[in-house]
Amino acid sequence: MADQEEIKSKVPLLIPRSCESTLSNMTGSWRFLKPRYEEKTAPCSSACPAGEDIGRIEMLTTQGLFKEAWETILRENPFPAVCGRVCFHPCEDRCNRGDFDEAIAIHTLERFLADAASRNEFKPSIEKLTLKKQKVAVVGAGPSGLAAAYFLTLLGYTCDVFEAMPEAGGVLRWGIPLYRLPVSVLRNEIAYIESMGVRIHTGKRISRSFLDEAHNQYSAVFMGCGHSRTRGLNIPGENMDGLEDGIAFLGKIRQGENLSFDGPIAVIGGGNTAVDVARSVLRLGGKSILVYRRRRQDMPAFDQEIKMALEEGVEIRELLAPVKIEKNGTEYTLTVQPMRVAGTDTDGRAAIEPRDEQNEEIIVQRIFKAIGEEAAEDWYNPPGEREKILTLDNSIIMPRSEGAVLVFGGDLTNQIKSVVHAVASGKEAAIALDILFQEGSDAVESRLKDYAVGNGPSLSMEIYMAGPRSERENHIVEYDEINTDYFELAPRVTQPRLLIEERRKTFEEIDLKISANVAIKEAERCFNCGLCNQCDNCYLFCPDISIQKDNSPQGRHINYDYCKGCGICVVECPRNAMAFEEEST
Amino acid sequence: MKRVVEGSQAVAEAVRLAKVNVISAYPITPQTHIVEFLSEYCANGTLNARFLRVESEHSALAALIGTASTGIRSFTATSGQGLALMHELLHWASGARLPIVMAEVNRALAPGWNIWIDQTDSLAQRDTGWIQMYCEHGQEVLDSIIQAYRLGELVNLPVMVVLDAFYLSHTYEPVDIPDQEPVDRFLPPYEPKFQLDTEDPCDLGSLVTPNAYMEMRHNIAVAMEEALFLFQDVENEFKAIFDRRYGAIEPVACDDAEIILVTSGTVTSTCRQVVDDLRSQGERVGLLKVKLFRPFPVDLIRQNLTSAKKIAVIDRNFSFGASGIFAQEIRAALCNTHKHPPVFGYIAGLGGRDVTEDVLEEIYWNTKNNEVPEKESIWMGLQEV
Repeated sequence: MADQEEIKSKVPLLIPRSCESTLSNMTGSWRFLKPRYEEKTAPCSSACPAGEDIGRIEMLTTQGLFKEAWETILRENPFPAVCGRVCFHPCEDRCNRGDFDEAIAIHTLERFLADAASRNEFKPSIEKLTLKKQKVAVVGAGPSGLAAAYFLTLLGYTCDVFEAMPEAGGVLRWGIPLYRLPVSVLRNEIAYIESMGVRIHTGKRISRSFLDEAHNQYSAVFMGCGHSRTRGLNIPGENMDGLEDGIAFLGKIRQGENLSFDGPIAVIGGGNTAVDVARSVLRLGGKSILVYRRRRQDMPAFDQEIKMALEEGVEIRELLAPVKIEKNGTEYTLTVQPMRVAGTDTDGRAAIEPRDEQNEEIIVQRIFKAIGEEAAEDWYNPPGEREKILTLDNSIIMPRSEGAVLVFGGDLTNQIKSVVHAVASGKEAAIALDILFQEGSDAVESRLKDYAVGNGPSLSMEIYMAGPRSERENHIVEYDEINTDYFELAPRVTQPRLLIEERRKTFEEIDLKISANVAIKEAERCFNCGLCNQCDNCYLFCPDISIQKDNSPQGRHINYDYCKGCGICVVECPRNAMAFEEEST
Repeated sequence: MKRVVEGSQAVAEAVRLAKVNVISAYPITPQTHIVEFLSEYCANGTLNARFLRVESEHSALAALIGTASTGIRSFTATSGQGLALMHELLHWASGARLPIVMAEVNRALAPGWNIWIDQTDSLAQRDTGWIQMYCEHGQEVLDSIIQAYRLGELVNLPVMVVLDAFYLSHTYEPVDIPDQEPVDRFLPPYEPKFQLDTEDPCDLGSLVTPNAYMEMRHNIAVAMEEALFLFQDVENEFKAIFDRRYGAIEPVACDDAEIILVTSGTVTSTCRQVVDDLRSQGERVGLLKVKLFRPFPVDLIRQNLTSAKKIAVIDRNFSFGASGIFAQEIRAALCNTHKHPPVFGYIAGLGGRDVTEDVLEEIYWNTKNNEVPEKESIWMGLQEV
């Protein structure tokens, strides 16, 4: 064969080969659509009255960063261990994952994180602003008062909380039964609030005159006295001995009184207090009959609580209105009028009217009334509509030309009487007061909108304090905006619970713990709607190597000198954490 | 050492002996055995190569374009639809002057869905700039793969070694599998004439303007022409070591033949028997086996066919609207010669139908009994439908 040189001369090799850098070819000039990183708002976080940054909490949980996840809750809510147990979790109803398979068990994960923090004795590092001159008095150490004091403290104010009872907690301490909220859990979180600088003065009942004298020491007074007096039935026999207020009964149990029952016990009402009373009675040996004048689906109690009450053996008698109560020796006769549905009430529940039927008599050993609570003192309530009063979503603010600003919150103002709404109330009041002190009361309503999570009404303290979350768009990510190709069907974690047989006999906490690996697995199901979890899809898919890593919080940026605007990064982002828009000319 | 092996294993053994560095492939019947053997060799260390599992044939060849650009021996194998999917990159591999070797097992194209022999898949790629060799038996397959690397690396062109589905890919025959040492002597380590190098970065295959593109194309044409001559040199060297040679074409009893049958692939073996039988009956018949289809050995074909009275080309393929593809090429090769014989085109054995001795004899007698072809293409054994 011919030698190599000869072959080379016969077969010349002419190929396109360039040692010039292609960097001179600025392909970015071709672009007419521009991608960019744009974090958005997860629907759960907007549905959470406390505006917790749930998408980020689950992302951190997935990474095993339990302390950071827990701190992320604490920025918006000082009660993760409490809410992880007693919250009715409206967040889960809005979870986009619900359209895919099942919603994330946000509630269970919140509790897991709080328990992990407690077990590991995490010391949170939560940013506090420098001390301001104003001091605020808080009346009532329930969830709204403690939340208000906590958030005001974060904003640099000095707070004194005055509590009539010997221990702080309000309804959390004296109302909610132990099987839903163990006392140690509550004490832990109150200790955290105190550690942040809140001063709680227990056994200190505030009188009406305080409101007028407070301005000597305080620039504002937050009224978070709650609703602790059961409303009247207005029927004959209501005030006889042996008939008890439901909320007072729950308080007695929580104060450690030894009580026991035998035989049928009637509980009148359909709210959470009624259900708590019925379930407590059952645990003390009685047979609970819950008498409600509307239908079961109209009961204001949280659905899950009603379901668990039924599981435990509470009997619900619906469409029965109490008419009178009589005592026969050791027993009581509760006379009830059968009712029927007659259209819909203004609040969406069934309207009712008497049915043409004989009244029924229910013979019981005891009767509890729990048809809703009201303020224990009339002066706890906010004044009616009047000029210069700011009626906000979860609080009412009354600036006064003389005297401290009065703020009413918690159950005194809230439409929905839940712990998380009380937290929302305390937060709203704290932010509103800060705006009021700095810019005057006229600025409050318009400025509050800037700190809404999504479309509100939930507010974010992190956004108010200009944390990273304030960079996000308010747009709430919809299910259609998630690239579900990147997610696999996976069952939701099942909350482990005590056996029903055990629940009937004991006030032990019903919901049991889940392990860290179960929690991580559950958190991994989260779409992290609108949030970048550094999955690197944009980086991997970019055909122009225009996604470049850096040390910014985003961890990467787009090199617009070369990005042609093909949009692959935006399409391949699983969680809609990018935006694509026309290039501005 | 002679071993009884499947045609597919003959391919795999040759790839092993060629010390290929990267194999990238996607499974498709009837090619799958080839890459199964190779993946085992890679797994058990018999062959020190990276085996890339890719998601399509398009990716399989794209990956090899990358690996071959770094100057290492690269191999793939495919069939039918898989080759069709590679089409774009077939052009790229030759245009980029990368000596990739591919085993292509002829498979009919769908629909109707058919996994059996039909040459249309590879012949449809005749304009992609790949050298194409059609093999008759397992030994030729093994030898051709080794030769393909030698030839491809000399001229910087990719090579397709083609074998019939099942009749060759899945048939067990005795094959002499040489030792490594003589193979190393025949096929020294690859010394690429260019390669990507992170120490000396460059980009390959970038924009070429009208003032240079034609020269690059012409350059490929020159390389193809040279490949025809170098193929003979490569065969000479191979024969010197292994004592086997096949030729770009192989004439059998053509010297005095009045009618010459032109075949490719496994049909050739059947045809050898038919020629023997007809000769014993006194018929002056010859056989021309075409092994090298690209570059097409026009001069050799002219030398061997112009003296015959008639030529009968057997095509196991068809170009719709024209004729059998070998017949087209033979006609084109002959048309500028003086008083060339008429070329009869026969279509047989599409989609795996057997081409028996009877079919080939019928072709012979039909050619003998007609002065000129009745039609451009005569379809053999068509059933009433």
